[in-house]
Amino acid sequence: MPLLEVDNLEIAIAMRGQLLPVVRGISFSVDEGETLGIVGESGCGKSLTSLAIMGLLDGTPVRITGGDIRFEGQDLRQLNRRERRAIMGSRMAMIFQEPMTSLNPVYRIGDQIVENLRQHQKISQKAARARAIELLELVRIPEPQQRVDSYPHQMSGGQRQRVMIAMALSCDPKLLIADEPTTALDVTVQKEVLDLMADLQERMGTAIVLISHDLGVIAETCDKVAVMYRGKIAEAAPTDDLFARLAHPYTRGLLNSIPVVDRDVEWLEAIPGRVPGIDEDIEGCAFHPRCPRAQDICRRNEPKQHRIGNEHTSHCHFAEEAAP
Amino acid sequence: MTAVVQQVQDIFAGRRLASIGLSWLILILIVAIAAPLIAPFDPYEIDPIARLSPPGWPHLFGTDHFGRDTFSRAIYGARMTVLIGSGSVIVALLTGGLIGMLSAYFTRAGNVLMRGVDVLMAFPALLLALVLITLLERSVVNTIIVIGIVYATTTARILYGMTLKLKREVFVDAAICSGAGHGSILFRHILPNLLSPLLVQASFIFAFAQLQAAALDFLGLGLPAEVPSWGNMLAEERIYITRAPWLLLFPGALIILSVFSMNLVGDAMRDSIDPRFKDDIAGV
Amino acid sequence: MSAPLLSVRDLKTHFTVKQPGLFSDDRIVRAVDGISFDIEPGEVLSLVGESGCGKSTVGRTLTRLEEATSGVAEFEGQDILQMPPAAFRPLRRDIQMIFQDPFASLNPRLTIARTLGEPLFIHKLAKSREEARRKIGETLELVGMDPAVMSRYPHEFSGGQRQRIGIARVMIVEPKLVIADEAVSALDVSIQAQVLNLIKRLQRKSGIAMLFISHDLGVVRHISDRVAVMFKGQIVEMGDKHQIFEAPKHAYTQELLSAIPRVASHREAV
Repeated sequence: MPLLEVDNLEIAIAMRGQLLPVVRGISFSVDEGETLGIVGESGCGKSLTSLAIMGLLDGTPVRITGGDIRFEGQDLRQLNRRERRAIMGSRMAMIFQEPMTSLNPVYRIGDQIVENLRQHQKISQKAARARAIELLELVRIPEPQQRVDSYPHQMSGGQRQRVMIAMALSCDPKLLIADEPTTALDVTVQKEVLDLMADLQERMGTAIVLISHDLGVIAETCDKVAVMYRGKIAEAAPTDDLFARLAHPYTRGLLNSIPVVDRDVEWLEAIPGRVPGIDEDIEGCAFHPRCPRAQDICRRNEPKQHRIGNEHTSHCHFAEEAAP
Repeated sequence: MTAVVQQVQDIFAGRRLASIGLSWLILILIVAIAAPLIAPFDPYEIDPIARLSPPGWPHLFGTDHFGRDTFSRAIYGARMTVLIGSGSVIVALLTGGLIGMLSAYFTRAGNVLMRGVDVLMAFPALLLALVLITLLERSVVNTIIVIGIVYATTTARILYGMTLKLKREVFVDAAICSGAGHGSILFRHILPNLLSPLLVQASFIFAFAQLQAAALDFLGLGLPAEVPSWGNMLAEERIYITRAPWLLLFPGALIILSVFSMNLVGDAMRDSIDPRFKDDIAGV
Repeated sequence: MSAPLLSVRDLKTHFTVKQPGLFSDDRIVRAVDGISFDIEPGEVLSLVGESGCGKSTVGRTLTRLEEATSGVAEFEGQDILQMPPAAFRPLRRDIQMIFQDPFASLNPRLTIARTLGEPLFIHKLAKSREEARRKIGETLELVGMDPAVMSRYPHEFSGGQRQRIGIARVMIVEPKLVIADEAVSALDVSIQAQVLNLIKRLQRKSGIAMLFISHDLGVVRHISDRVAVMFKGQIVEMGDKHQIFEAPKHAYTQELLSAIPRVASHREAV
């Protein structure tokens, strides 16, 4: 049984009395200790998917309109608030893009970790504090004994993100959801944070769902990848398989759009057009207005899932041909 | 025009209380404009025989101690309400707005100017109005000027803060890089972005100006005593509160209803404006 | 070799940061701390570095959005840092800036035509409204937009379209030097590629010199002729693009290059 199983999840946003679909039926699973990368551009629904899994959509105009989310076999959508809170932050944790906004500026970081620990475990104040220092050491904060009493604003962006990771890992979660965890960081700091996450995962066996717009970050850290476009998974595969055999024109376009540092490219093969707005209706394949190989069938029919390899799937009418 | 209608619809859609407030204000405006057509009597006409008659026919709201028709005076009072309100708004926004904007834009001179504004703001609004009004004669224009100046201070403060923020916007940098001069940046790039918060500010000033005017009238320092304003009506008839309570009930209720409506409308507009400025406008 | 278009010598821009508390001294932040470089006509020089290294301040100082503390910046032989603001205004036509955030850099209350028309009238590049409209239309076409959009407002456009409009505002005055401050950083990857291609094409076609400020080494490699790597307010390494990317000498440059996540290792087959 997979640790996390998302089945045909649909999410819509309520706007001007209408429900506009943002996530249009996506399915994926994550096994224990595995890293899944979800990659896509803004508005593709990747962040809402992560918020839906964490149950953080309450009180927003966004709601789940269909599908199941099962964690350790339990349907998360059936749980009440209290049962949910028992899971969140202990067996399942999340880190966000901007660590400054997710840490409370008026409390010392140590106290925030201690509070989180004591919420989920029966542990004394003293033991919790010792554990907090241990965790800071684990995420390689220098001089954890002293830094445990620092306030968030006294730390750098990279250090704050490590504190967030320490807090997320405080109760040994089975699953960590990381939404653009390094997007606000400089490349050198990004590398340290990604290395740290990989290292901790190896040691603690945590499964990770890493959400990013950066194909490079995904390629370097994930076991498997799901490429999202306009609320659907365009292509999904184990990382090596994906790059060995691109089976969706969007994935290919995304890859060719990235200016690389290792060789000269005279002109980038940009994807033409723009990301469609959520209130636009597109018939057929959602990508066809921007697709260089779009045919009549793409304009008419929505593509079904094509299986290219063992775990390699693509939502493209020409999935088999698209591969080189 | 349709854009304005659309915007009004957006602001008031789903806000029942605010919509009722807006309807009340529109009614006041119509009454003010059409006062001579609506009022059954001349508001200044004295009828010694019908002194202090209770509400009924033909004096719907009764008569005052001169025998003047309270209903007609209340209707003409709506004129004063609109006149004092809009006059004070214009004075406050023009002087205060300009001081605030220029002070924020030309920081060095502005620092001095804003300290002056701070000094004025240290006085309670009514006290400041009293001090100013004692220097002037009782007249409609002077009442407007005094109330306008009182609220110019808060307007200056608010616009000062908002202009400081706008000054740092990237599009202002971009205009500078295009070669735009001070005038162009202030009036072409900054001012248009201040219009919607200014409108909100105006609605609050309009409301508070009523209270100020009523208070000044009540203290005998506002409009000349014979002018039919709701505040004057309260002031003149207050000694008859036990014999003819309706003389205070009607103007008092009108003041409360109007101020309340203006506040509701102001709140609704504030809630619908640019979130960037929400913190700046906390009411007057 | 001809004279450089822009010659910067020992430029310093320091900021005073007021410290809270009655008795603490103000802190001085040395955002730009003594840098020198030349830009030849038609050349693209990139300033690359991580956040806080001072690269954006260089651009803002050269456009006089910040006051330089010391140093010289000669543009066509004139020192642009010392001249009075009034004397610098005509030069603003020649030195233009593209900003990072396409959502913040266009005045929401002005139509596209008014935004693009402003520099035309300020620098007296159009004698009549008709001429201005014609130029605005042509420039919009140049950046790949329909001239009909000129009567619309910024909120009607996506980020990529707004950045095209921002580029049009720069190109419309036919400048000699464009300073691009993180011009494509806020855009989605697929849109970034379009805009990057556009900037490169316009630069090639017009021969405008460019100071391209970015944190993204891939973008920098794609667009530049020469690269200067900044660290803590100083240029630690400067050279031809191929030298910087293929044989970096400074340890910091090497660290930057090695930190970039790559898809290359998986891509051999593609």
